[in-house]
Amino acid sequence: MSRWERQSPAIGGDGAVRTYHVSKSYIAGTFALHDLSLEVRKGEFVFLTGSSGAGKTTLLKLLFAAERPSEGQILVLGRNIARLRESAIPSLRRRIGVVFQDFKLLNRLTIEDNVAIALEVVGTPRKEARGRAFRMLKQVGLQHRRYHHPLSLSGGEQQRVAIARALVNEPEILLADEPTGNLDPDLTLEIMDLISSASTRGTTVIVATHDMSLIERYAKRTIRLEGGRIADDTPDLRHASP
Amino acid sequence: MAIALARSAVRGLTAAPVTTSIAVFTIAAALVLAGGFGLLVTNMSDVLSRFGEELQVVAYLEDGLDARAQRRIATSVSTVEGVESVSIVTKEEALARFRETADGVGLLEGLEENPLPASLEVRLRAERRTPEGVDVVVRALSGLPGIAELAHGQEWVEGYARFASLVRAGAIGLGLVLGVAALMIVANTIRLAVYSREDELEILSLVGASRSFVRIPFLVEGALQGALGGLFAVGLLYLGFAVALPRLEYGLELVLGNASPQFFTSVQALTLVAAGGALGLLGSATAILSWRSPA
Repeated sequence: MSRWERQSPAIGGDGAVRTYHVSKSYIAGTFALHDLSLEVRKGEFVFLTGSSGAGKTTLLKLLFAAERPSEGQILVLGRNIARLRESAIPSLRRRIGVVFQDFKLLNRLTIEDNVAIALEVVGTPRKEARGRAFRMLKQVGLQHRRYHHPLSLSGGEQQRVAIARALVNEPEILLADEPTGNLDPDLTLEIMDLISSASTRGTTVIVATHDMSLIERYAKRTIRLEGGRIADDTPDLRHASP
Repeated sequence: MAIALARSAVRGLTAAPVTTSIAVFTIAAALVLAGGFGLLVTNMSDVLSRFGEELQVVAYLEDGLDARAQRRIATSVSTVEGVESVSIVTKEEALARFRETADGVGLLEGLEENPLPASLEVRLRAERRTPEGVDVVVRALSGLPGIAELAHGQEWVEGYARFASLVRAGAIGLGLVLGVAALMIVANTIRLAVYSREDELEILSLVGASRSFVRIPFLVEGALQGALGGLFAVGLLYLGFAVALPRLEYGLELVLGNASPQFFTSVQALTLVAAGGALGLLGSATAILSWRSPA
């Protein structure tokens, strides 16, 4: 057990994500994140905001173990990212869905296969994977385009496929990095409603965005980063105590 | 899971036909070089083995021995360690053989008596067809009564042995160089294929695919590409063998003598295909095991 784990009696409570004095530096002397401590409870919906270079993407990358912190500790679903073995990363990622601004779909696969692949990598039989993928596509309104390839879809549709892929495994955490960055306002709301509905089913959601209109519209807890540090942490106004 | 991996491998092969074709033809080209050389060495080895089979010791018998005495000496020679068989060449047979040569006819004109001695042609066991083996047999025979002289072409034997070992060493050396060169070419070609599909690897890694789930399809693809390259190489070599052979007849005669060149046996051809598969597997292993996921 690490020093932090010994000093943190609340670990393993209802925290889906906890960071403790986390810093990330790519070049010596400059920090993408600096001394960041925060907690996101299970089932909570959080916006991460801030200008470009504030550290939003870096924080998300740390949460799904694409990067390791330079300093500090990160607990995601009870696993310490700083000490996670390389071989343990896949099993953690199966509990986390990730959505990117650029969709990250496999253009040579049909959209159904793009969704099913998230199930196939964990050993779900193909037939079952395709069935679940179809049901997921139905939820995002794309079941009629199951045999289409991503490049024949609009940006909004591609992002819906990416969300379907991220949610098909029923992840405990959904991370979205500027998920509406490439979309027009109508599609933005459509995508945000899908992400928001995952939160209502108990998934912890963290959305990185610099779109203030979204933050105002959904009025969820908002953490604003500035220069790699937390500048503000505004609670969910709808659930805040009077 | 195995089906998913196999499907992923086949999908990978068909998804990037240009990259796949480049890899297959690179492997085929490397194997055509190695296989062509192998074909030459195989044929040379056959010729060398035939030379080896002709190695023998000739024991010239003393004059005046009757047929019974000759047979007795032949029997005692056949018991010497390293001797496979002994055949008697009588004076008359020796003369008849001599007359068969064009020069022989003129040389013997005017002679009243047959000057050629009877002899024993001593064939050696396969393992004794070496300079050392010949020496041992010659020493054993030199003390036997009735034998006037021994001829064994020691210098020729030594020359033959040197040539044989030189060819074999050359074959091993060149085979190793070609093998390493082919491996490097294949590894780099497959590395390019890996880089061209880095996005896919990243996405698989993001959705929680294990290292083996991401990497095994590439290994299967590498082995399939290699085996396919091996098949092409066998086909190209056969085509080259059939088409070019009549045109290269004179050149090949210099290397192979009068022996007619033979193509690979089916086992040798399969070995080349398997070698392609192994090269592809090793090449893709070198490429994919050094790849680090950006996510």
